[in-house]
Amino acid sequence: MRQRQSNDHPVLFVLPALSLMLLVAVYPLVTTFWLSLRDEFPIFHISRFVGLSHYVTLWNDPRFWQSLANTAYFTTVSVFAEVTLGLGVALLLHQTFPARGLIRGLVLMPWFIPTVVAARLWEWIYHPHFGVLNALLLYSGLITTELNWLGHPTLTLHAAIVADVWKTMPFAVLLILAGLQTVPDDLYRATRVDGATAVQTFWHITLPWIIPAVSITVVFRTLDALRVFDVVYVLTGGGPANTTETLSIYTYRLSFQTLEFGYGAALAVVTFMIILVVSLFLQFLLRLVSAER
Amino acid sequence: MLLDQFRAAHPDIHLREEVLPSSSDQQHLFYVTNLEAGSSDFDVFALDVIWIPEFARAGWLQDVTPRVEPAALADFVTGPVDAATHAGRLYAIPWFLDAGVLYYRRDLLDKYALAPPRTWSELRNAAQIVMRGEANPRLTGFVWQGKQYEGLVCVALEFIRAYGGEVFSRDGELQLAQPPTIAGLQHLRDLITAHISPPVVTTTDEETARHIFGRGEAIFMRNWPYAWRLLNAEGSRVRGRVGVTAIPGSDTHSGVPTLGGWHLGINRLSPQPDLAWQLVAFLTSTESQRQLAITSGLKPTRLSVYTDPQAQQADPSLPLFFPLLQRAQPRPVTPFYLMASTILQSELSAIITGLKSAEAAMDDAERQLRRILALDRGEASHASTAK
Repeated sequence: MRQRQSNDHPVLFVLPALSLMLLVAVYPLVTTFWLSLRDEFPIFHISRFVGLSHYVTLWNDPRFWQSLANTAYFTTVSVFAEVTLGLGVALLLHQTFPARGLIRGLVLMPWFIPTVVAARLWEWIYHPHFGVLNALLLYSGLITTELNWLGHPTLTLHAAIVADVWKTMPFAVLLILAGLQTVPDDLYRATRVDGATAVQTFWHITLPWIIPAVSITVVFRTLDALRVFDVVYVLTGGGPANTTETLSIYTYRLSFQTLEFGYGAALAVVTFMIILVVSLFLQFLLRLVSAER
Repeated sequence: MLLDQFRAAHPDIHLREEVLPSSSDQQHLFYVTNLEAGSSDFDVFALDVIWIPEFARAGWLQDVTPRVEPAALADFVTGPVDAATHAGRLYAIPWFLDAGVLYYRRDLLDKYALAPPRTWSELRNAAQIVMRGEANPRLTGFVWQGKQYEGLVCVALEFIRAYGGEVFSRDGELQLAQPPTIAGLQHLRDLITAHISPPVVTTTDEETARHIFGRGEAIFMRNWPYAWRLLNAEGSRVRGRVGVTAIPGSDTHSGVPTLGGWHLGINRLSPQPDLAWQLVAFLTSTESQRQLAITSGLKPTRLSVYTDPQAQQADPSLPLFFPLLQRAQPRPVTPFYLMASTILQSELSAIITGLKSAEAAMDDAERQLRRILALDRGEASHASTAK
């Protein structure tokens, strides 16, 4: 009887969460889309409906395509590196060795450093004159002249990727390590009895068992990397010549620096759509993987 | 402190100051959000020279033309006054100014019997002679601001104008793809390909340039006047060995330093415009500017301060800098400057990193700038139909 009553008003229970979602997610989304259909320059008293013309401009905007390409490259390379390195480090840390707790803590360190601080740190590491990286490379004889890590059109994006990998690889380690701890010990004992090699054990026992953890890591990191802003912005500001400008940085410039609210909103909407599509695709893959298991 | 003096002199006026974020971008955003919302919380505000046309056009600044006698205006350096003039009206009073100057290693030029360069080609030759003579791999020729940011626009303008180029002509036509502009930019890029400027110059801002020059690792440096005191401070490796001269020109045009600096304007919604004016008049007075120059090294906007014996004695660099700053010209005076600058920054960066030729980059810049200028025209026609 009681149970029945509560079932009569399910809406009541969803309402707080629902209204919060409407307020913080749906409302800004709708207004952003509406804004993207307008020319809004409040300072110049320009406010008019322009339909989809911002989207046409965007399609013909080489800077948009470059920022999209930069973002895609950044995401692909950094996520791949973070997850493979993270997997390796997690496997190492899963072994039993002295002071394991301490080492685990140390490995996770970069993740606890605020991104802006980490980026500033790397800015110094990359400094052509005073940076430790060039000093080491020169000393070891690998290079003969100082490299301009943050001012070279092709080096710079890679420099940003390295900084990001350093910063977020521990996150991958954390998730994968958690996955590793769920592998039952019986399985390992059984493989040992059957005389399997370490490589065989990894491919047939460990990896299949932790695939869900790895996949989750990939999803998290991909969605994070697609909207990357802070690490790149602090390190390079998008330069040189926009070779490190990501979608988020371009959006920020339009909306908050040059105050082109309408055009900036159009870019934000497109970025949102891209992330949405990628996220749906990844979720589909995730479901495939877990179904196989 | 100047504000305390003002308080003492006007005990009836309650004066409150608000400290803004240090980054110029954030200050701009602060003003835009507040003024757009019709805030009258502040009466007087400090303006970066490049914001004035934008704020004037937006209707946020009080027209101060009637408050200033033309004769009183004659005491101001002309560049900053031009920069604060929009559609024939004056919207802010120049407070202190900044302009590009060329620093050089006096000891090194003397050693090779070279005079301070008056053209960019002379600078190139001088740098080559000294670099060859010194044969020091750590010594580079010329450092400047080449990072993708506002500083790059300032430097590029000095090259463009040295060869007779411009961003806009007097009647507002784009001049970027014209031969003089291209020639200037080509010279800027050539500095890097000819190894006069190091590759790191593409990430260099004012402070990085000052560090390189301050360590004695560059012969020339383009920077602002602030570096003078620091280069000659105790402990500086180049102390007493630095000279400063005007931004070079070319064989056909004299050098034009890019103008920077800050102005004081009055909020149009200020409930106390007369009191606000009193503060502006006080802070921009000869006496206040003299104190500011002596205590902080900021360069005055009043001619009378530069020639004042007392100020000259307190800051001997004043008469030294005066002829260098006098010719400074503002960046394009347009309400759309910030948008134009963002476009220019990325295209200029593409030129100096060698990603695009000067021609291609300026074609691209013009195409993007036209979209912004069209906004203005669209607005103009909209306004005329409304009437």
